[in-house]
Amino acid sequence: MCWSTSGDSLCLSLFVQGSKLEIPMWLAKGLHDSKRRLISVELPKIYKEAWRTVFSADANVVDLHKMGPYYYGFGSQLLNFDNPENPEIAQTILQTFISRFRRIMDSSQNAYNEDTSSLVARLDELERALFQAGQKGLNDFQCWEKGQASQITVSSLVQNYGKRKFTEMDG
Amino acid sequence: MEPAEAEFLAEKELVTIVPSFSMDRVHLIGGDLGPFNPGLPVEVPVWLAISLKQRQKCRLIPPEWMDVEKLEEIRDQERKEDTFTPMPSPYYMELTKLLLNYASDNIPKADEIRTLVKDTWDTRMAKLRLSADSFVRQQEAHAKLDNLTLMEINTIGTFLTQALDHMYKLRTNLQPSGSAESQDF
Repeated sequence: MCWSTSGDSLCLSLFVQGSKLEIPMWLAKGLHDSKRRLISVELPKIYKEAWRTVFSADANVVDLHKMGPYYYGFGSQLLNFDNPENPEIAQTILQTFISRFRRIMDSSQNAYNEDTSSLVARLDELERALFQAGQKGLNDFQCWEKGQASQITVSSLVQNYGKRKFTEMDG
Repeated sequence: MEPAEAEFLAEKELVTIVPSFSMDRVHLIGGDLGPFNPGLPVEVPVWLAISLKQRQKCRLIPPEWMDVEKLEEIRDQERKEDTFTPMPSPYYMELTKLLLNYASDNIPKADEIRTLVKDTWDTRMAKLRLSADSFVRQQEAHAKLDNLTLMEINTIGTFLTQALDHMYKLRTNLQPSGSAESQDF
């Protein structure tokens, strides 16, 4: 098989039947067809039974960021491929989300003005976005309670711009 | 909604002041205000009370619930019960912040009051998170929580609605896909 990317282009040389390749999800989805069976997809290990058992024992201990940072999104896309294990995979993904929900909610709504890197380190991208939402709720509230909500502050977008002097602009 | 918006809504609540000036009744679109006579208590919306206080034209009378014993009772009941206690004002948090920040000299034991209200808030938020977790765990479709205030709902709202959106999408995965293929998740 020859699959290479150089710069912006994709170079596809030769597919050999029965060989194993790694291709991007978008391509696998495009090639997939339940009737013609061009490709068959192997499940990445975290969606297989062994790991599914780990998730159902205690989903909170798993480092979802390391295990491919898009556990939920990618897992949902995997369900496109008519795998017989799909119902179990879908159920595991849902239950994992449900078990980890509490910790994300509590930590994002309680950690004020502190370094949160250890709290988000093991979260996947979807969970990190949720964590941000929780933090925003907390930060907005705290900021308001202190009376800072009505103060005009410099926007973080322009804070780092160097000030230019008027005379410089003319030259 | 921003907390400042909730505060804006809270400022319509009425509070008693004792003005130090006199003025005839004023007719505003929202209703009438006054008349104001020095030394005579009158009820006005909080937004006006704060404005007058800042210009040193009145003294604020704290609401009847803004009292150490009453707040201790409320705090204790909140800690005891699993459900949410009805709060003396749907805007208790906003009013506490406004009155204590602008008129703490008119409120006896202001620091204690601040602490008591914060304690009650913390207990209520913890209960709210507990409820949210149990709602998610049981995958309920519908829940009803009485006696929550706008500020509490607001603080957790964005997080909760986003989480429930994600959960909904994950739940639709459980149905066998007929045409469930989609480009974006």
